[in-house]
Amino acid sequence: MNALPSPVHDVTPTRDLFEARVEVNRRMCRDHYLLRLRITGPRDFPTTQPGQFIQLGCANPDRASRDTREEVTWQPGEVPALHQDELCHPSAFLRRPFSLSGRGDDVLGTWVEVIHRVVGVGTDWLSKLRVGDAVDFVGPLGNTFTRTPGKNNALLVGGGVGLPPMFYLAEALDAAGWKAMAFVGATTSELLAVSIEEGLVPESDGRPNRSIVQFASYSDPSVVTSDDGTIGMKGRVTDGLLPVIEKMSGAERSKTVIYTCGPEPMMHAVTKLAERFGIECQVCLEQAMACGMGTCQSCIVKIEPDTARGEVAQGRSVEGRDWRYKLACTDGPVFDSRRVVWG
Amino acid sequence: MATSTPTPPTPTVDLSVDLAGLRLAGPMMTASGTCGYAWEYGDFVDLTKLGAFVTKSITLHPRKGNEAYRIVETRGGMLNAIGLANVGLEVFLKEKLPQLADMRSKGPRIIVNVAGHSVEDYVVTTQRIADEKAIDAIELNVSCPNVKDGLTFGTDPLLLRQLIKEVRASMRRDCKLIVKLSPNVGDITLTARAAVEGGADVLSMINTYTAMAIDIHKRKPRLANTTGGLSGPAVRPLAVYLVNRVYRAVARDANVPIIGMGGIQTWQDAAEFLLAGASALAVGTALFVDPATPIKIMDGLSSYLAQQKCASLREIVGTLKIDP
Repeated sequence: MNALPSPVHDVTPTRDLFEARVEVNRRMCRDHYLLRLRITGPRDFPTTQPGQFIQLGCANPDRASRDTREEVTWQPGEVPALHQDELCHPSAFLRRPFSLSGRGDDVLGTWVEVIHRVVGVGTDWLSKLRVGDAVDFVGPLGNTFTRTPGKNNALLVGGGVGLPPMFYLAEALDAAGWKAMAFVGATTSELLAVSIEEGLVPESDGRPNRSIVQFASYSDPSVVTSDDGTIGMKGRVTDGLLPVIEKMSGAERSKTVIYTCGPEPMMHAVTKLAERFGIECQVCLEQAMACGMGTCQSCIVKIEPDTARGEVAQGRSVEGRDWRYKLACTDGPVFDSRRVVWG
Repeated sequence: MATSTPTPPTPTVDLSVDLAGLRLAGPMMTASGTCGYAWEYGDFVDLTKLGAFVTKSITLHPRKGNEAYRIVETRGGMLNAIGLANVGLEVFLKEKLPQLADMRSKGPRIIVNVAGHSVEDYVVTTQRIADEKAIDAIELNVSCPNVKDGLTFGTDPLLLRQLIKEVRASMRRDCKLIVKLSPNVGDITLTARAAVEGGADVLSMINTYTAMAIDIHKRKPRLANTTGGLSGPAVRPLAVYLVNRVYRAVARDANVPIIGMGGIQTWQDAAEFLLAGASALAVGTALFVDPATPIKIMDGLSSYLAQQKCASLREIVGTLKIDP
């Protein structure tokens, strides 16, 4: 993860359609699955950074045949096998965006990992993939989290399906010599998509420990909160974050960046905390998208116009802040929290 | 089990298309609103292999578009209510036109889609755009279902004919006028005929179907705009039917070519539209899944036409056999 110059709004110039095979499909908790996809085909997968995402096909990648009128030959008495995949097995038409939760390069090439929650026909299809099955995806897409020059401390705040990019970010920050602490929020223990270190549980009083394997492997302590108190501290993720920030000195805060991804109310609350204590905060936004490539104009987010670059406002929020539509897919998904106009 | 994928040796089929005097090297086009203004997909796919490139809708003034959510997937398709978000005529001419001129020099014909709220809107916008030599044709969006009063022109034959007359009269003569028909009408032959009488050189069809999806837990529409336009494989049989209906009732006798679109994702889909009466084909929603879809379709079409013993794509247009 290179220290890019200030914010971040570059479109990756090397995106493409990649084919891959499922190497791991592991259920992490009640609804969440980890997919490791081994990239096949001749093209090298471009470099990636935390915050970037892929548009994963949730259907047979051989789309040219999925709607093919096949000639079925059969003998009397036989049941003809139907091969109109689309009619036999409901699958999603559009791709689905997933943040990278990891990436590895080895002698066999490149793999990428995503973690998804089964919420519909597309993710249900993904959850049933077997090792060796073919998928395809478009990527890498979107901009990236950045390391601000002069800073070296990170607070990673992830909630629900916003957690996966934090795993990738923890790895990249560790490689860059940053310190990090993770704050993980879940509605309930069954929906916490992490691996818990054997013999160690998240503290119920919100004290950081090394119970989450994905962070502990980079020596990063973590705090878990759950809405119902079934794991870690009962409360919101900001309830775990606040005491840690309060203990920090002004000097420490000035060396710190908060990185957050999760449900919008959570990110909004994290943003308010960051502003209250004068800590830089980068948010990874999500919005329903069709293409992920900047053409369908679906995944709009409201961002303060960059007047220095001649951008004009398209509207004003109830709090009186000017905003302009940006695309989560190509202008984001990562934005400086101060520029996000919430609600 | 044998698949029907034909694999003849190097087919040499003439895939060129004549759209009312505008020659396209191949039949494949992009559908407006799914491929940006110009090169947005250029890093993925060789856009120069397209027969024609169609821009997203341009309006006289910039439009920011609708609130989120703007899209929702439904079985076999998607609803969109983008709301004609676009940079507006002036920025388009200044920033996007040079890119389109560059693309045109590499092969594809350039078609600009124009939307408006009044006859004056349309006339001013189309006139300015048609004055540009890099623009081969204008496609009139008279049937956007996602803006207030967007459907009026597209569903009223008298208004439509008058609009097209005035637009046609204001345009450079050798810039072709394509009228995109709405499926949201009782009898599409009435609007098709009105478009032809008004002076349309080409018809394109279909625009999206007005549709709705509901969040049953919140008891609210899933789109901020309440309704959206349905596109994707779900609408393909509906589109094939309407193309055939307009072809037989209006277009064939008037010698007005049809650009067929609506859920095209494979070469087999494309072949259906050709048989139904379309002379050229546009891919829209499928570009969101794979921007190379139109290029991939061309290979399959060549093989199919060779298998059908056609020396040219033109030979198969409208050759659907219907028993009397």
